[in-house]
Amino acid sequence: MYLYIYDNFLTEKKYQSQLYKIENRLVDLGIKGRVVRLNILKNMAEVVEDGIKQGVKTVVVVGNDVSFSKIINIVANKNIVLGIIPVDNKSKIGKILGIPPLGAACEVLAQRIIKNIDLGKVGNYYFIDSAAITNEDTTVHFSKYSIKPTHVTNIVSFNNLGVFAAAEETRFNFDPTDGQLELVINSSGDSLKKGSELTILPFKEVRVECSQPGAFIIADQVTKLKPPVIVSVACKKLKTIVGNKRLF
Amino acid sequence: MFKEENPAKDIKAAETIIGPSVRVEGDFISQHDIIIDGEVVGNISTQNNLRIGKGAVVKAKIDAKNAYISGKVIGNVTVKDKLKITETATIKGNVTAKILEMEQGASLVGQCKVDPRPEDKVQAPTKETK
Repeated sequence: MYLYIYDNFLTEKKYQSQLYKIENRLVDLGIKGRVVRLNILKNMAEVVEDGIKQGVKTVVVVGNDVSFSKIINIVANKNIVLGIIPVDNKSKIGKILGIPPLGAACEVLAQRIIKNIDLGKVGNYYFIDSAAITNEDTTVHFSKYSIKPTHVTNIVSFNNLGVFAAAEETRFNFDPTDGQLELVINSSGDSLKKGSELTILPFKEVRVECSQPGAFIIADQVTKLKPPVIVSVACKKLKTIVGNKRLF
Repeated sequence: MFKEENPAKDIKAAETIIGPSVRVEGDFISQHDIIIDGEVVGNISTQNNLRIGKGAVVKAKIDAKNAYISGKVIGNVTVKDKLKITETATIKGNVTAKILEMEQGASLVGQCKVDPRPEDKVQAPTKETK
């Protein structure tokens, strides 16, 4: 049984026709299920809990990368399959998992290729894509060595899926099924220049410290945590539907 | 003389890259290829290839399969196969390698041991028992 959760920003009128198309395609493919539209009174966690009680085995989130990140912590410890339908072509998670936007995503859901992928864990929160901290006083401790950026504009990030430049000409794909995360330190700030200024280190667990007060580590652009924190990999934690064109 | 290129020169997809604006302290041990363009203090050990870039500063004991050094190294360097020291390199320490290639202009202060032959197994005299 499928449960489709529409994120609350999809109540805007401009999305209505796209949602109708998705619903029609799901009917055509025979994977129609219960639809829940999130709003101020309905949150994602309650909807998923109710769905599981009613026998839901597959939860599909319709939305953007923030929507997908929000569901991760809800479904990570539950025995259900997660699917996603991106509503625009800006979804990094969609691209890496090989899921095109809108109606084309329904075809991928119908094919039902399921992979157990790793999740990152920062403190007690799971993340699917990355956790990042922007601060020059950050030190990352590995088991036998520590690493510290020496440049003010460094962005320190802990990645599960990959690092894309804005133009996507430059990208580093990381395998979310390899049982490790990648520490990336980009000294050129937001821009990602090919092969230069980057530090890349695979790891299973690190401790992140920051000597400046007020610094935060932000997981999947959703959750803020105060260092010191442990960042680790949760191997094969999430059952998710992926496409043939996935980047791993 | 050196027809075969050093595998550490063109590492295509290194799993581990230490960028120029990063400082690493401690025992840096890896199974994979490593590229270092930043600063490392401690020990570096890899079972594969190591490339130390032009601007890198390494104060460490180094162990690698193949190495291509263009930066500054203070510490002993032990390479199982090929070691190339380029013209911009400065090494203060003892160097051990099977094959060594050193460009004109490179600086090496220390002892150098190069032996391309496989190690001779010298058998210790056995004691006869009565």
